[in-house]
Amino acid sequence: MEKSDLTVTATLASLVLDEAETQKLGDEVSRMLSYFEKMSEIDVDGLEPTTHALQKENRLRPDRGLSNEAQPDELLECAPDLEDRFILIPNVL
Amino acid sequence: MSDFEKKWSGVLTQSQTLKAYKNYVDGWEEKIGSFLEFDPNRSLSDEVPEGPLSGIPFGVKDNIAVKNYKLTCGSKMLEHLVSPYTATAVKNLQKAGALVVGKTNLDEFGMGSSTDNSALQKTNNPWDTERVAGGSSGGSAAAVAAGLVPFALGSDTGGSVRQPASFCGVYGLKPTYGVVSRYGLTAYASSLEVIGVLARTTEMCKVVFENMKGKDPMDHTSLDHTPSGKEVKTVGVLKLEEGALSPEVKNSFDTSVERLKKAGYEVIEIELPTLEYVVPAYYTIATAEASANLARYNGIRYGHAPVFAENPTELMRKSRHEGFGDEVKLRVLLGTYVLRSGFQDQYYVKAQKIRTAIRQDVERWYDKCDVLMMPVFPTPAFHHGSSDLDTFQQKQADLYTCTANLVGHPALSVPSTLENGLPVGVQFMAPPFEEDRLFQVSSALEKEFQAPEAPGYHTDWS
Repeated sequence: MEKSDLTVTATLASLVLDEAETQKLGDEVSRMLSYFEKMSEIDVDGLEPTTHALQKENRLRPDRGLSNEAQPDELLECAPDLEDRFILIPNVL
Repeated sequence: MSDFEKKWSGVLTQSQTLKAYKNYVDGWEEKIGSFLEFDPNRSLSDEVPEGPLSGIPFGVKDNIAVKNYKLTCGSKMLEHLVSPYTATAVKNLQKAGALVVGKTNLDEFGMGSSTDNSALQKTNNPWDTERVAGGSSGGSAAAVAAGLVPFALGSDTGGSVRQPASFCGVYGLKPTYGVVSRYGLTAYASSLEVIGVLARTTEMCKVVFENMKGKDPMDHTSLDHTPSGKEVKTVGVLKLEEGALSPEVKNSFDTSVERLKKAGYEVIEIELPTLEYVVPAYYTIATAEASANLARYNGIRYGHAPVFAENPTELMRKSRHEGFGDEVKLRVLLGTYVLRSGFQDQYYVKAQKIRTAIRQDVERWYDKCDVLMMPVFPTPAFHHGSSDLDTFQQKQADLYTCTANLVGHPALSVPSTLENGLPVGVQFMAPPFEEDRLFQVSSALEKEFQAPEAPGYHTDWS
């Protein structure tokens, strides 16, 4: 895998790689991708892709909220930065 | 309740035994580090319901939510997160009377085969502390093997319950996909993973499974359990190539085949030509799903946030850079790559078609045999670090376990022998909903060989 390809992929994944990581993870990603090439040996033309182990169709439910044990305030408490009942993030602009 | 279960059901309620039990756990934990959090007193304040598991303590892998316990997933990203709710599987067990005593260590987000990828703690195998307990549910397996709990929950995405069960000498069940609710299980690869059980006996495994399963309105992939009740007569044993297994595992496997014959089962040989494509297909699908599932960690609503960030994009990137370990980054990168436009047909769609081929390859045997038998892992527990098997080889060695995840069928790792002082297990796989067939075969083998007791193991708390 080209270094530029790795950088693009990392950006898409919202990951920043330092120099050492670029080297180490780049090698490992390349090794796995060459291993994935093995999949080109097998002929699966005409087979439907399996996207789900057992379920064959979508399941629907009434459009109503389900009760949840977690209380809104408890969920808010998990946020790293909070002011009153607002989650804080750095300035957008 | 069996004598084993009765013994455990009283351990927390009498102060004398509780004290002895805590000392026992402390003694082991210095050596094996299986729990990230251990506190038997926390559930004692609640009223314990009468039920098939009344009073029995259990451990929960730390990627499964239990209210008021941390939910770290073995990651710096979630090191300080306390769960505000409880997973359905855990709730069902609590309703049956079981008591959570702690959260067990794991490879970060369930990604690994050794528990060495935990960012928070090192876990050792109770049989040899120089070796790994397996993974990713290594903490759960080590805790059960050392007798710290009679059972523990794990999660199995590609073998993460069965492989550590084999390494530590306990039973490890990966149920049919969907039969146990995933609500409260931290998502890694949603189409593959399921909450499973690690237990000391087949009976315990069965009781826990029976009590935690069931369709759940909170998980729309959950299913009702509809078993056939069929009795097992024929076992299909996987034909193995020369050198596929280490001599120890080969010997253990052959021993179990002989025991099955002795117990009156008809044994036939089966072949799975798709087996060589299982691992690449599995890692393509698992990493693709992981890259999507782990996109939620951005340092805003919960999880690690950097000390300073100029803007929201930097907040997200720094949070992920500082919060994720190498293996997680590797899998997120791989998954992002195989899903990139232009590459999808080559990798992701191809892997999903191979998944269909694997399912057909497996299913054709169920006309001829009731369960399939194969190894769990090609070697016994390996040493810490990468001296015996590097991380790439560890992934390749997942071939026998990830088949069951790709097809969604139930599978059970059963202790088979001790080889040079290390436990080795064998694996059985059955059609969807046929967990009972696995328990039948496992019980028959248990008459010949029970879960071995690691040096220092005891259950005498009086």
